[in-house]
Amino acid sequence: MNENARKNGDVIRRASKATAFLQLFATLLMVGLIYLLSGIYEKYEALQDGIRENTLWSVYQLDREARRLLELAHVMGADKDLTLASMKTLSTRFDILYSRMGILKKANFDLRLQDSPELQTLVSEIEPLVVAKAPWFDAIASGRDIDIAHLRAFTSSLIPLVENTGKLLMSANNKVSAERADTRDALQSLQLKSGVVTALLAASVGVLVIMLRRQLRSVRAAGLVFERMAHELNVAYAHAEAGNRAKSQFMATMGHEVRTPLNAILGTAELLELGDLPERVRWSVQTIRRSGQSLLEILNEILDFAKMENGRIDVCLAPADIRVLAGSAVEMMRDRAAEHGNTLISDIPDNWATDTIMTDATRVRQVVLNLLSNAIKFTSNGAVVLKMTEGQSQGKPVVRFAVSDTGIGIDKEGQEKLFKPFSQVDATISRKYGGTGLGLTICKEIIDSLDGMIGVSSIKGEGSTFWFEIPAEPAQAGEPIVDCAREKDKLARQRKNILLVEDNIVNQQVAAGFLRHLGQNVTVAGDGLEALDAMATKDFDLVLMDMQMPNMDGIEATRCIRAMETAKGAVPIIAMTANASDDDRRLCLEAGMNGFQSKPITLSQLAGILDRVESTAERNDPPSGVTLEEGSAMNPRQEEIVEVLGREVFEELLDSFFSDAVFILSAVSSAMRDDNTNNLDRLLHSLKGAASNVGLQDIADRAQRLRESPISERRLLDLMRAVDEQRRTRAA
Amino acid sequence: MAAVIFLPASSFALDAPKGEVILTVTGKLDHPNVGDTAQFDLAMLEALDSRNGTMETPWTTGKVEFSGPLFRAVLEAAGAHADKFKLIALNDYAAEVPAEDALKIDSMLATRMDGLPMSVRDKGPLFLIYPFDTDRSLYNEKYFSRSVWQIKTIEAE
Repeated sequence: MNENARKNGDVIRRASKATAFLQLFATLLMVGLIYLLSGIYEKYEALQDGIRENTLWSVYQLDREARRLLELAHVMGADKDLTLASMKTLSTRFDILYSRMGILKKANFDLRLQDSPELQTLVSEIEPLVVAKAPWFDAIASGRDIDIAHLRAFTSSLIPLVENTGKLLMSANNKVSAERADTRDALQSLQLKSGVVTALLAASVGVLVIMLRRQLRSVRAAGLVFERMAHELNVAYAHAEAGNRAKSQFMATMGHEVRTPLNAILGTAELLELGDLPERVRWSVQTIRRSGQSLLEILNEILDFAKMENGRIDVCLAPADIRVLAGSAVEMMRDRAAEHGNTLISDIPDNWATDTIMTDATRVRQVVLNLLSNAIKFTSNGAVVLKMTEGQSQGKPVVRFAVSDTGIGIDKEGQEKLFKPFSQVDATISRKYGGTGLGLTICKEIIDSLDGMIGVSSIKGEGSTFWFEIPAEPAQAGEPIVDCAREKDKLARQRKNILLVEDNIVNQQVAAGFLRHLGQNVTVAGDGLEALDAMATKDFDLVLMDMQMPNMDGIEATRCIRAMETAKGAVPIIAMTANASDDDRRLCLEAGMNGFQSKPITLSQLAGILDRVESTAERNDPPSGVTLEEGSAMNPRQEEIVEVLGREVFEELLDSFFSDAVFILSAVSSAMRDDNTNNLDRLLHSLKGAASNVGLQDIADRAQRLRESPISERRLLDLMRAVDEQRRTRAA
Repeated sequence: MAAVIFLPASSFALDAPKGEVILTVTGKLDHPNVGDTAQFDLAMLEALDSRNGTMETPWTTGKVEFSGPLFRAVLEAAGAHADKFKLIALNDYAAEVPAEDALKIDSMLATRMDGLPMSVRDKGPLFLIYPFDTDRSLYNEKYFSRSVWQIKTIEAE
């Protein structure tokens, strides 16, 4: 393969050289040809300029007139004819000869007589012979008498003239012939030269064509070789990619596998901490919880990095209030800062030009949290400040975050290693402070994919300032949200503001996730009271209302909404309930709901609700096709969640279901002890809903059965065992 | 009187020559004056429409001024109309000249060179001179061969 490519390359290079040489040669030939042609052109120009009288003709005329004069004089002498008329004719003949003589001297001939000494001599001999006769004729004209002797003398004096003119005629003829031959030769040689040059030119063009063809052939062959090589490279790359992907996949899977039991450990530890524990045990439990927390953080970082390696840092731009975001991040870190004895200060100005910008809030929060967490980790009994400023970078608005601490600081050399993966500033740091050394790499990756910049300035021992800048394009009202993670599933549905009223966290997450997937704005309320609060501050296009909730249930909340005087009172409300009896249906409709939907809600059911609300927004009739399909196959349910929200989210949902279940079951057990039937039913209902939502139908069924018949310790234990079993199956 | 005003001069019968005849026009003529020919002396020719021009020719040295009646004026005076004319010189050299050389081109029958009448020795008495001074494209062998000198007769064929 490589051998072939090299050979082709050699051929192409050689052919290129030859072609270049031939091009130069052809150009030179062209110049030569132009030179020759211009020579020919000049010759013709000269010919045009040098239009002259025909020499030979003039010389012939001279000779002829001389002979006619001689002949006439001869005849007159023989006839002894000396009449006036004859003499006048003779005189005219002489005048004509004389005029011819002058022409030879004056005229512009094609043959330059003076250039030829021989002709020049002849002309100079002829001239006096003619001119000498003129006085004789002048005398006759003025009346002088002549006799026959005079005439005979004149006649014989003409003989040398005629001899000379005859000689001149022959010489001129020879000369003109020679000149014509010379001219022809010169033209011929010029033609020969240009012919040779033309032939050479044609030959070089021919060779050029051959060379180009060879070159083309080689290029084509080389192209094929390269194509094959590219294909092989592609295959090799795909193999490498697959290997890398498999590695990342493995890391992600491992991460989940570790995270699931870890969540359980953390949840259990937190539960334990809530109980009444001896100080020593409490301290140990706290240690377990903190260590678990750190382990979880490390795990999350590794998972993030695995995703990044896999090329999956997706940023999803959506309107976000980053000041609120930053504020909440600071609040989240407050306890942690206090644990290290640090003061955490947020310097977020009140007057702010753009409240809502287009960015990926989750990712930005992740970076802020990471920087804050780092600052807190490396500072003890000091101060950590988050400062936000608005600015401009290359004419575009940016937001700048800076996290400064009074911690250990980093030297120049360390700063260079900071944003590279797996590189702690020095080994002692990871021993002392822990961490994977991936946090800042992930931050850099995120900020890069947001088109921002991240950096650090630090003095060893005096603290560090980590900063980043992200573009802050103001969010436009009604800007379409592109859901990057699931862009392939584009649903051209009108974007609505939807209020999701649901007390169970898992149900909230699933329903809200589905709705966001369908391109909707979701606001979540935990119960009826929260729903009314949300209604007071915001307009909604649709309310999805759970029926059983603490504080205020769905029926009561619906009544309150319908009692509102404003247009808000007419908002479509769809019940989401696991209770699907006729009584429930009647209750819902009486309260003013527009329809109801059995739980768990599937993506297509949600889409159907949205579409119906869209088309019947004005009509208010209950959505048709409402089905009561509890007990339908649950594996498809899980598949649906995985397909829409991704496996990771599904796993997280399961995780949070199991940690919720721990709380719920302990609450059930205490409600049972207190004989609080209402609370008991509500808790079981919530557990049933959440379980069926994540596709754990067995648990849902058991919870439902507990609600329907008197509850006993044994049956509660059965349920607990079922939950535990499921969890172990998941973890295995 | 009206006839005098409207008829062109050439429609009058040609006067008989008073001096030496230097040109005889023969052939198809409307205004013959001697027998069926039209004969001209120098005075008659120089009375016709004329032109003069200073030019170079192959037969002279340097620039020379020629003057004389326009060829077409002579033909009109003789009432000669033909497609071509045969110009015959004293030595019997003859050249055929198409009519357009007289009508479209301001060719003249030069009688004078540099103001002086031309003798036979100076290629006189008449020399057909094309306007080389105004039309350089005439300066070639074709017109040189038609430039007859020592003209004695013009035949209208």
